[in-house]
Amino acid sequence: MSTTTKEKPVTLKTLTNKQDLLSGGHRMCAGCGAPTVVRQVLLAIDEPVVISNATGCLEVSTCLFPYTAWRVPWMHSAFENAAATASGIETMYRALRKKGKIKKNMKFIAFGGDGGTYDIGFQALSGAMERGHQLLYICYDNGAYMNTGIQRSSATPFGANTTTCPAGSKIPGKLQKRKDLTRIMAAHNVAYAAQASPHNWRDLMTKVKKALASDGPAYMGIVAPCNRGWRTQTDDSILLSRLAVETCYWPLYEVENGTWTINYDPKDKKKPITEWIKPQGRFKHLFAPGNEWMLEKFQQIVDEDWESLKKLQGTFGR
Amino acid sequence: MSKVLLSGNEALAEAAVRAGCKRYFGYPITPQNEIPEYMSRRLPEVGGTFVQAESEIAAINMVFGASAVGDRAMTSSSSPGISLMQETLSYLAAAELPAVIVNMQRGGPGLGNIAPSQADYFQAVKGGGHGDYKLLVYAPASLQEVVNLTVQAFEKADEYRTPVMILGDGVIGQMMEPVELPEITPKRIEKPWALTGAEGRPGNVIRSLFMLPGEDGMLERHNYKLKIKYDRMVENEVMHESVHLEDAEIVIVAFGTAARIARTAVSIARSQGIKAGLIRPITLFPFPEQIIAAAAERVEHILVAEMNMGQMVEDVRLAVNGRTGVSFYGRPGGAVLTVEDIVSALQSAVPRGAGQKKMHTVR
Repeated sequence: MSTTTKEKPVTLKTLTNKQDLLSGGHRMCAGCGAPTVVRQVLLAIDEPVVISNATGCLEVSTCLFPYTAWRVPWMHSAFENAAATASGIETMYRALRKKGKIKKNMKFIAFGGDGGTYDIGFQALSGAMERGHQLLYICYDNGAYMNTGIQRSSATPFGANTTTCPAGSKIPGKLQKRKDLTRIMAAHNVAYAAQASPHNWRDLMTKVKKALASDGPAYMGIVAPCNRGWRTQTDDSILLSRLAVETCYWPLYEVENGTWTINYDPKDKKKPITEWIKPQGRFKHLFAPGNEWMLEKFQQIVDEDWESLKKLQGTFGR
Repeated sequence: MSKVLLSGNEALAEAAVRAGCKRYFGYPITPQNEIPEYMSRRLPEVGGTFVQAESEIAAINMVFGASAVGDRAMTSSSSPGISLMQETLSYLAAAELPAVIVNMQRGGPGLGNIAPSQADYFQAVKGGGHGDYKLLVYAPASLQEVVNLTVQAFEKADEYRTPVMILGDGVIGQMMEPVELPEITPKRIEKPWALTGAEGRPGNVIRSLFMLPGEDGMLERHNYKLKIKYDRMVENEVMHESVHLEDAEIVIVAFGTAARIARTAVSIARSQGIKAGLIRPITLFPFPEQIIAAAAERVEHILVAEMNMGQMVEDVRLAVNGRTGVSFYGRPGGAVLTVEDIVSALQSAVPRGAGQKKMHTVR
């Protein structure tokens, strides 16, 4: 079923000639990381593409009837169903291809936020990956339910203050560590799983091309800073996504048919996690006296995850 | 007692805590997010537990688990989330587990919008899940009533061993009013059926499956048992409020937010010489059919006003049973009724002359 999206290098020059498939005029917040992520993803595609979108900021802010910001076919059904909806669309496409009613090579992408992906949409996502639909599921991960008012999700980092894990005198913010969804997707033995960040657009777009060219289902987790929920400046989105990578909170890596590759290894330039969390108001309480243990634990979590990722690359790398 | 200014969601959450709710399970959805947010701050202070679930399905099943061990447990959501909970509402009713479920309704169907609505009436009172079952359904129209009914909901849930729904909407959840928060010593009801470890007693069984060998007819008998319980509710739990019913010639039947608006419409209509009255069902199941039937004997006409396409009007028509004319005025999709529109519906429903009944029908 898969056909190759030519893996030619992504250059700014070629990109400037392409139309943004997510138009301006949508109602995402100023400084939101998600539309930047979506634009980069869509710029990487040359074939006709159909989008399935889970409920969330991206969905509700880009499709306020009678307006739409999407220049591609786009469908939303419910919160938990983006992967299932995409599965249905892709199945219909397969059937029409088989009957010769569609000749074009088309691509299918599902977008969900972390709430709609890690939590309520997880079952549908797992099912779609296992069945092997030829689709790419992309989670734009801002680490909480931002659309409904910053409630914790299973993607919320350890220690963060949200409206349902408020930092108070009894409980100092979120006590659990984040679910590592990219690894869980890799454990589905999908054709392609990767993490990306919008600060490294070339890496992100190359990964989208690889994902869509692979033979089978693909998953990408992309960090998407949210200044409302992270309590940061509106112009810090790209800086914060960069710091997420440079502190190894959000390592850039990919798993291609079982082969693990870390795409960016800071080596001895690995920054302490405080550089990423210091500018974020949601972590303010971690710097209060008495909470030093949380900063230490956060660093320990990041270090352990990073070391285990390097082991995976060592064992299952090229 | 001093009054405090709270939003409906906060007032409900605080009332639940005071009523002895120790376990809250929730999942984000507008316009009720203030309930889980309040609970996440408040419950740790009173030794309770707040858990954010990974979906509404998980949240209601956590309620099932907590209720089975005898805790006062609650969840809250809004329309699409309540739809996801329907399967377990049926299970709770079948297993006879007490629970409080809050639905701050929003516009539907589908993802709809986040504006206030009353379009989940059918789902709430007719049994939104599968099988023959009922929820005890309260429809508060003021924040003081939100507080009082929340406390009552926990008590009745335990008393009847049944899931109880508080059916509010975006207006009830989001608006602010001064409320008195009573210091409550929660009425404790013994729960000998609860799963508490079976030390020194035979084990308890909580179940909703009745198909084991030798259980022929058991599910039918279980349904009759539930029926007796629902009949007891019909007999003892009906709540309503009447306004100017004594001399009313035309009566509005409305619940919740729509009733607040209808109440103002009644006073305006009266100032124009229309003898209007209001019946406000406070329980939607059991439904105050007798009071409506009695009114139907006397009044010229009944106007049902709802923020939907006409749902409670069916129950009103059943209660009226042809005794008088019934018309409907409503707006769906998260639109809020206006006083002017209800007054004008009243005006056009008032008889134009002796023996002549020209009724307003919006449907």
